[in-house]
Amino acid sequence: MSNLKVDGESESTNPVEPDSVESSTSRRRFFAASASVAAATLVGSREAKAQGSGATETRRDMVRSILRKTTRPETGPAKSAQVSAAAYDSALSKLVRRITNGVTADEMTLARKLGFNGYLEYQLNASKIDDTAVQSYVATTYPYALMDSAQLYALDLGQVASQFQQATLYRAAFSKRQLYERMAEFFSDHFNIEYATVEYMKVPDERDVARKFALGKFPDMVRASAHSPAMLEYLDNTRNSRNNINENYARELMELHTVGVDGGYTQTDVRELSRCLTGWTIASRGVAFTFVPNSHDWNQKVVMGQVIPAQPTTSGQLGMRDGDMMIDYLVAHPNTARFISKKMIKWLLRYDPTDEQLSAVASVYSSSQGDIPSMIRAILTPANLLAAPAKYRRPYTFVLACLRATNPQMLRLQNVTGTQLRTLGQSLFAWGPPDGYPDTADYWSGGALPRWNFASYLSTNTADVPVDINRFLAVNTPNGCVDAINAAMFGGEMPDTLRSQLVTYAQGGTFNATRAREVLALAMSSSTFQWM
Amino acid sequence: MSENLHDNCACNEYNELATRREFLQKSGGAVGAVAFAAAFPEWLPQVSVSDFYIANRDVVVSIFLRGGADGLSLCVPFGDPEYYTGRPTLAIPRPDSSDPNKAIALDNMFGLPPNLGGLYPAYQAGNLAVVHGSGLTFNTRSHFDAQRFMEVGKSNDPTVQTGWLGRHLATSTPARADASLRAIGFSDGLVDTLKGGPKTLPIPNPASYGLLGSTTTRTARMNWLQTDYSATIEPAKTAALDAIATINLLATLNLNAYVPANGAVYPNTGLGRGLRNTAGLIKADIGIEAAHLDVGGWDTHTQQAGGMATRMNELGPALAAFWQDCVASGLQQNITVVVISEFGRNVRENGGAGTDHGRGTAIFALGRGIAGGRVITHNWTSLARENLQDQQDLKVSIDYRDILAEIVQNRLGNGNLAAIFPGFVPTFRGITKDAVSGRIAAK
Repeated sequence: MSNLKVDGESESTNPVEPDSVESSTSRRRFFAASASVAAATLVGSREAKAQGSGATETRRDMVRSILRKTTRPETGPAKSAQVSAAAYDSALSKLVRRITNGVTADEMTLARKLGFNGYLEYQLNASKIDDTAVQSYVATTYPYALMDSAQLYALDLGQVASQFQQATLYRAAFSKRQLYERMAEFFSDHFNIEYATVEYMKVPDERDVARKFALGKFPDMVRASAHSPAMLEYLDNTRNSRNNINENYARELMELHTVGVDGGYTQTDVRELSRCLTGWTIASRGVAFTFVPNSHDWNQKVVMGQVIPAQPTTSGQLGMRDGDMMIDYLVAHPNTARFISKKMIKWLLRYDPTDEQLSAVASVYSSSQGDIPSMIRAILTPANLLAAPAKYRRPYTFVLACLRATNPQMLRLQNVTGTQLRTLGQSLFAWGPPDGYPDTADYWSGGALPRWNFASYLSTNTADVPVDINRFLAVNTPNGCVDAINAAMFGGEMPDTLRSQLVTYAQGGTFNATRAREVLALAMSSSTFQWM
Repeated sequence: MSENLHDNCACNEYNELATRREFLQKSGGAVGAVAFAAAFPEWLPQVSVSDFYIANRDVVVSIFLRGGADGLSLCVPFGDPEYYTGRPTLAIPRPDSSDPNKAIALDNMFGLPPNLGGLYPAYQAGNLAVVHGSGLTFNTRSHFDAQRFMEVGKSNDPTVQTGWLGRHLATSTPARADASLRAIGFSDGLVDTLKGGPKTLPIPNPASYGLLGSTTTRTARMNWLQTDYSATIEPAKTAALDAIATINLLATLNLNAYVPANGAVYPNTGLGRGLRNTAGLIKADIGIEAAHLDVGGWDTHTQQAGGMATRMNELGPALAAFWQDCVASGLQQNITVVVISEFGRNVRENGGAGTDHGRGTAIFALGRGIAGGRVITHNWTSLARENLQDQQDLKVSIDYRDILAEIVQNRLGNGNLAAIFPGFVPTFRGITKDAVSGRIAAK
């Protein structure tokens, strides 16, 4: 593959800096794998170089200074491409595409500076990344998104929903904690609750379950979800009492949240677990979880072979122990390890995990008590990334990637979270069934035209989220424009074919800002940009 | 009748006729298609003999009344005094009443409300059947669950993610091998009913389905995308190329100039425009096999009389126009329309002159292949409290899948009912007039 020529300049240089954090173990794994991966020779050698020796102190200082940076992505002219399209398939670039909601020039620069492991660790330690700029923007602009049910229930529910959606999208697009945002989205789907069913209760649920533990321990997240008023209402455990068993939550707790549909339980186990969870309900208006002893079934239960002993009916809050014990059992179950590992590999790496990958990640789950960062490290090895086929961006991720690349003004974001995402088929918190939006290419690939039209809308709208086209016209030529788009959308690694197609289009008529907007829309519409 | 049509299936003819689609393809993609549209500004199906009529299965039009439509208003059990007891302000008067809002008798028990009176000719012609006391047997009063369960064709099973109509399409060969669009959903995102269907797209308005932006550069941008997506991997490649083909195809149809047959006048409502476009697409001979439309607003908890009247005024005239245009007109292509809702409403009205979520409701089926002119019931009893589910609701005595499955097998010629309605063995209720599956198989 030939390197990109940037506007008549000499061949671009490789700015990837050394990285010393790489452990010898994973480096060995990387080398072993890269030898076996077809077409990875060039990439492999580049990566090997990228992960060679370096000064630890210097890099730590740099990480510290980067952690302190608080601004949104740059708003000046997009930087021109300085790297080769060949890097597009490197482990580092695949990593950036997988753990962010879209490449930006800044993000790629950062990743190259930190190197593979440095960048991954930076994103895994999300709480250490200073994100105050985005946090204060959200707090100021979308105050409802930070409130509790006790405050929210009395407010305009349409406004609550709208601010909640906008705050979620804004953070996903512009937070520097990109991996955290990716995992929050994943777990929001895993513990899916449709907003329309529970309304304002969804707001604290998102905060106290998926977002609280997205990079924490999975068992803690299951426990938090089991105590979430929104979940208990959504899956009808609020209607589960000793005289009137409702199995809905108990079934999904096993089928969707922990051991999986083939997790080794029977209909009797569903029934028995439902009995354990009788009395788990919500206080008035769903402002809090509450356990109602009078609704609890105090008799003995047997769930998946676990005997939950009977308790005296006067045991009060101790009745909760039945459910707690079973949740402890379920989250420690090897089938939960495999079920959640497989789903996480699919989310972060590839649709079709190998048995080896699955076993490796599941064993990390078991040995680390479901520590999500440890699992992510096991999933996102350079070898695994190099061997992974591309994943198809869901519409929401596509929108986020477009917003990150173009960094528009936020005038009326509600038209993006409203009409635009609805047209694209992925309104936030609008998936009805408890399994969350699908994560398959088959499901989403039918919506090509709405994506093209979103790209067109984004590049031409003036009142909602207008893009400053001059950012892409610092060098006001077809080549200069495409290079700027390349830098903003691909970190300078746009594949050669796409680049030449875009230049050809840019040259196909009078080149001006209008043409440049079309080129930008085509770049976002391109097949390449739909994959990550 | 339709069986003669099927008997006359001349498959050679089917292959030999230069169809509109082939013409478009021969004329060379997007550019040619545009030129073609310019050269034939008239509504083409009126000036050319279409070959699509040879396809030996019905086009199915699925309409979902979202919100839980009150079956006791859609099809009034005027013969039961309990109805008038339970609905002191909302009941629709008996046909023998002097009230101008009185029902139109369909038989001795049931009648159409005046707002649906436009459908009476279809009933008289034997093209319209009502299935009363039908719906979702799974006992839920949640809109979201009930709609989803009905649309996917199975209750309470998260592993079923595709829709019954999508699976019908996925388990049948295309009526036309070259079709780029087999099914259309008149909505932004694809409704559950259609999920899983090959060559199935959500198209809110087929008259304006296309690439946004400058019309001057549209063709160039379409060509750019066609080139770009031709090189990507599946499933994105085929999906995008189908979308491009559909855009190009729809751009040639000039649906806005479509002239309904038989003097039919579609009301200018969401459903009216949708059915008008559906008729246009069917007659345009492009291989459309299914269309899905939604009508919202049936959740009439308060002041139901006005809300129901508005909704029924949208439903009745639009369906009547479609029947006139596509069924009574003698159009060779057979069409079956089926109208369902997630549940009915309480027999007794509430204190707010409305009704709350109930259970059984009424399904409407329309077409020449429908054994119409009847209200079909099963173990219908009076609406006395002791006969009701939970003492408040019309029971679901006919599973909605009994009706859909019979239509799928007998009118759409697809016997893969186990895949389309998993875990369910339907009881055919005689809603269809004749079977076509044998002829499909022989083809």
